[in-house]
Amino acid sequence: MNTKKIFQCKNSMDGIFTAIYEAWSSGYGHDNVMIEELCEKNDYSNMQLFSEYITVNTDMEKALKVSRSIKQKISEEAFEIVCRVALSDYRQKGDLIYRFLILGFRSGRDIVNHISNDVVNQMLKINRNVGNEVHHFLGFLRFSQLENNILFSVIHPKNNIISLLAPHFADRLPQEKFIIFDGGRNICALHLPGRPWIISDIPEANPDMVYKLKNYDNYKDLWKIFFENIAIKERINLKLQRNNLPLRYRKDMTEFQS
Amino acid sequence: MVIQEGMSIQRKLEILSMAARYDVACTSSGVDRKGNNTGIGNSLACGICHTFSADGRCISLLKILFTNECIFDCKYCINRSSNDIVRASFTPREVCELTMEFYRRNYIEGLFLSSGIKISPNHTMEQIYETLRMLRDEYNFNGYIHCKIIPGTDPVLVEAIGWYADRLSCNLELPTAESLKKLAPHKNRKNILKPMRQIQLRRDRHNEYLGIDDAARNRLLTDSRINIDETDGPVAANIIVPFGRTLPAKKRFAPAGQSTQLIIGATEESDYQIMTVSEALYKNFGLKRVFYSAFVNVNQDESLPSTLDGPPLLREHRLYQADWLLRFYGFKTDELLDNNKPNFNLLLDPKCDWALRHLELFPVEVNKADYQTLLRVPGIGVNSARRIIAARKHAVLDFNDLKKMGIVLKRAIYFITCNGRMMYPIKIDEDFITRQLLASNERMPFGIDKDITYRQLSLFDDVNFQPDMHDQIKILSQA
Ligand code: SF4
Repeated sequence: MNTKKIFQCKNSMDGIFTAIYEAWSSGYGHDNVMIEELCEKNDYSNMQLFSEYITVNTDMEKALKVSRSIKQKISEEAFEIVCRVALSDYRQKGDLIYRFLILGFRSGRDIVNHISNDVVNQMLKINRNVGNEVHHFLGFLRFSQLENNILFSVIHPKNNIISLLAPHFADRLPQEKFIIFDGGRNICALHLPGRPWIISDIPEANPDMVYKLKNYDNYKDLWKIFFENIAIKERINLKLQRNNLPLRYRKDMTEFQS
Repeated sequence: MVIQEGMSIQRKLEILSMAARYDVACTSSGVDRKGNNTGIGNSLACGICHTFSADGRCISLLKILFTNECIFDCKYCINRSSNDIVRASFTPREVCELTMEFYRRNYIEGLFLSSGIKISPNHTMEQIYETLRMLRDEYNFNGYIHCKIIPGTDPVLVEAIGWYADRLSCNLELPTAESLKKLAPHKNRKNILKPMRQIQLRRDRHNEYLGIDDAARNRLLTDSRINIDETDGPVAANIIVPFGRTLPAKKRFAPAGQSTQLIIGATEESDYQIMTVSEALYKNFGLKRVFYSAFVNVNQDESLPSTLDGPPLLREHRLYQADWLLRFYGFKTDELLDNNKPNFNLLLDPKCDWALRHLELFPVEVNKADYQTLLRVPGIGVNSARRIIAARKHAVLDFNDLKKMGIVLKRAIYFITCNGRMMYPIKIDEDFITRQLLASNERMPFGIDKDITYRQLSLFDDVNFQPDMHDQIKILSQA
């Protein structure tokens, strides 16, 4: 009987790309390999008895090769979709991407139109989902000004999107020092004037520090004044408000904090 | 009039945001502009909502009045000169600081500056011009600016402001010149259309000069019969555009175009009249958006309809739906309404309503119908139609595929076939389908539910409502 070879990798774009490289070049055949990224969400209690687990060490070179061939042999658009899926919180996204690439390398740039194919359809759905969350956070993200003029933001997105948010804010606020902190993942995007932004792990982030620093900003009150007075009281519609701005975003938004 | 000296910025903001809230336009869309590395700000054509206020509306811009002092006395307006309310004015610097600091914290996409009329239109607009100039030139603000043009403003000022703003708006306020005269005695239609025309010509001319084909100009709108000019006497086509100077190549005049606002339900005009005006504004004045604002009788003015039961939100919603049909779906006003049927059906959205009156055109075959035809199917929107066209190149689509693609079939199933077959054997029968559609609970903005529907029905009794409405309610309650 055929045992599945399961390539286990880090839950990151580079990790997944490396695993794809390894699985592809392993020679076991597409049907006999699987990719599994390691993250809290995946439940490993159902490890398959008759599978062989192979640990993949992230290798930038191999990851780069994969991204290059996606761009060249499929398209830039497909590459962007793959990136967004790789940053999503979808379980088994690694394997989904693998299946997508099998089809993609066969059909080329046209693959994104094969909507009735389940794999493609699933990819596009997740892509849209991540894209929507990014778009929401472009608006819902709030900075507070710290004493030293640093703009600081805490968010708790579902997907791992700070690397998708940072370019927008770096373009918008080129003269500012800012930090976007993903409170659920303990990573942050940092920007300093005149330099490219970077992503950095904060393994021992101290949330107290974050919240203590917040109290110095006078403009918070002005913003709340505006927010409260701009609503038309004859049209109060909290359901519509909740539909447009789900509660899960609010705890990090200035105007909803007391 | 109460004018307080030395008012705090908090108090001013309170007064001048409250006074601005009835202007419904708050989008930051229509212009793509990268950051410029030295200043602050960029802009995305799709627009960004930053938060939603308690009325459920998107907040994208710092929407404030420069001043709520006003020499005019428009009946519908909270700031009218005859009201005894606290008045306040910002200084240009205060507006700049608020905008910059709000923007840095990502509260907003930019500024929407409107104003009451202090001393004179020109006096007020000069202050506004100074604010915009400072924001752009001193503060290096590169974000979005929407600026209101007060009727009667000198064309030279309009011209000067247009180079600093992304979007300009002159509010038409009411659909007919007569209503305007009645409710806003100091305004006249011509003074509103004049700057509109000036902005349009300036934009066209400059875009031509830059070789920009303004794609957002609505091509779908062709030959509407009524020329809005003719109802108000001609507006000169060749207004002298001041400042013949050459401009920095990248600068554009009001790149996000212009919009306007109509108050709905303060006067007796029918939906047909309103939509005819909108169509003319899109077609003849190149407007980007017409906004509809359900009338709220803020002054409890007895000569105007009472809105104690709530503003006509459902009607406003129908007008927005119809407006979309005009701008993106290739519909013409005359297809949706006419003199015998001057108002929208409150129980069905305008597209369903249209389709029910044109059952002879249905069902359409999903695998063959062209884009325009697909767009006319109830339940199929612009995105769905595009997805269908893309997907069917690679496979013959069946209902399952449509579902997988996220297309909502609830309403569409009565109007489409896949491979010549309908999803269920359905009789193409108006009564039957109407009943099904009414029962299928159209997704409404929350808060506009059936309760309000009934209340609003009575509100519209005087607006020549469809005679068959009561039948439809019967159908609805049976379903
Ligand atoms: S001119 Fe404008 S601010 Fe003044 S009363 Fe009329 S609508 Fe209100």
